[in-house]
Amino acid sequence: MNRKTLRLLIALLAMFGLLAAACGDDDDDASGEDTEASTDAADEMADTADTADTDDEMADTADETAGEETAGAVAPDGPTIRVRGQDFSESVTIAEVYAQYLEAKGYDIDVLTPAGFRDEAIDGITNGDLDLIIDYIGSAQGTLAPDEPASADPDEVVATIGPLYEEIGSTLLDYSPAIDGNAVIVRGDYDAETISDLAGANAVLGASTQCFERPQCFPGYTDPAIYGIEFADTTTIEFGPLLGEALAAEEVDVVVWNTTAPQIAEEGFKVLDDDKGLHSADNIAPIVVNSVLEAYGDQLATDLDTLSAAISTEDLIAWNVETDINFRESDEVAGEWLAAEGLI
Amino acid sequence: MDGDLTIGGLLGQAAVPRDTGVLEFLFSPEYWTGAGGILTSLWDTITLCAAVVVVATVLAVPFAMFLAHKGTGELTVTWGVTLSRAIPTFAIAGLLVPLSLRNGWGFEPWPIFIALMLLAVPPIYLNTYTAVREVDRGAVDAARAMGFSERNVLFRVEMALATGVILAGVRVAAVTVVATEPIRAFLGGDGLGRYVRDGLGQNNDNLLLAGAILVAALAGLTGLTFSLVQRFALPPGVRRLTLQRNR
Repeated sequence: MNRKTLRLLIALLAMFGLLAAACGDDDDDASGEDTEASTDAADEMADTADTADTDDEMADTADETAGEETAGAVAPDGPTIRVRGQDFSESVTIAEVYAQYLEAKGYDIDVLTPAGFRDEAIDGITNGDLDLIIDYIGSAQGTLAPDEPASADPDEVVATIGPLYEEIGSTLLDYSPAIDGNAVIVRGDYDAETISDLAGANAVLGASTQCFERPQCFPGYTDPAIYGIEFADTTTIEFGPLLGEALAAEEVDVVVWNTTAPQIAEEGFKVLDDDKGLHSADNIAPIVVNSVLEAYGDQLATDLDTLSAAISTEDLIAWNVETDINFRESDEVAGEWLAAEGLI
Repeated sequence: MDGDLTIGGLLGQAAVPRDTGVLEFLFSPEYWTGAGGILTSLWDTITLCAAVVVVATVLAVPFAMFLAHKGTGELTVTWGVTLSRAIPTFAIAGLLVPLSLRNGWGFEPWPIFIALMLLAVPPIYLNTYTAVREVDRGAVDAARAMGFSERNVLFRVEMALATGVILAGVRVAAVTVVATEPIRAFLGGDGLGRYVRDGLGQNNDNLLLAGAILVAALAGLTGLTFSLVQRFALPPGVRRLTLQRNR
């Protein structure tokens, strides 16, 4: 219900913005004022909505518009930026953080319903359905350049995949210090410390269907030239909290999940050491379509880099605790974090 | 020999290459055998569906017959109609999975079994109830007049005459269950749905299409099998009667 109201509000805001932009086209100076006036009106609308429905989200939206107003200056002018998270909670929250941040800065943002995973995201920026994605660079290397050696140094990973993004007409911006890599996870009492220890363990593996295809996942663990593990059995489990449930229930002995899964601390799970260096450095980084980047000039890249630099691995874990343990909505979590960090 | 088995298993777990064509997948023996092969998946699907349909029939038919014979429970039919169209099978199974895991019952078979049961019971119950209620009252009265006991009226007249319609209900249930069972692959299980799941998850449209074809084919075959059963298993008199009513 609340989300719907929020969406409606955002849609109305967008319409208002368009109208104002259209009206103010003949005079550049006036257009700035017009936008201000429209945000004022929108602010009032948000306020009236707020009295009807005293919800945090509403307050956030009102804050955002207010922030925009005080920032005043020049609203960035360019095409709508379409953002889409991948279909798991952390990626959805990350997409919301970037989207709400840019929106507060005055960019035109369209947050699409989360869908698909890395392949779909890369397809999206390649064929023009998306303008901004935020991905994990090491895993992206596994998809874009599966034959290149993995590296724990993010700069090396960027050197490998940066040109490949250029080839599909997009730019990989600065990576964030926040890292969320693939993690091979066992129960706390399981007798293994490194992934190599699994070689003779006859373990049952639980992993997402994507893992069975990616070179840095199942094929890498079973490849005799890398880890050469022979799993007793495998179960395909949807990527997300169900992996942790299956591990805790002893349905499987090992799951492939991510290092920021909050259940690791919660349930006392153990992340196995990637002793053969199969996983690459998995910092998060935004990827923007070149046409959009050029349309906005340096401002967009600078804004995105500022935000990326502000996110830490601990933040990712904290967001996941909120969405996966406390079952809160990603957009709320994102808005609260941005407000708490003073970014909007 | 032991080593062979492991290798066979690994082949089954490995992803199907994206450049494998739909027909190539469906007609290569290598994809039919082994741990993740079509035959194993087919067997998984058929055994689960058969169990669901049999249990649903055993539960629903006697209950519905008894109520219909008594002439009570009209409301349950109305309810049944509404329910059978409103059950979110995937949501139910999805909710049951974590519950089942926490209780140590594993991914399978309970969550998917219960969800499919809820799907299978309404059509069987509805058809049975309606069929018994719709039996020619003249025939029932004649049986009573001839001194049939109530039990004999139920079993030898009402049930005998209703068999065709009851079977039709079971057929609807079976086809629905077979067509819905693939959701189990999204909930930690396998079966024919695994190709749909892997096709979606691994961006492999050919595999997705092949999986859909397999599921549709099995559902169609199920319907066909029941038609044959209806055709040959019913006594000629009842069959003629069912045909006449359909006309």
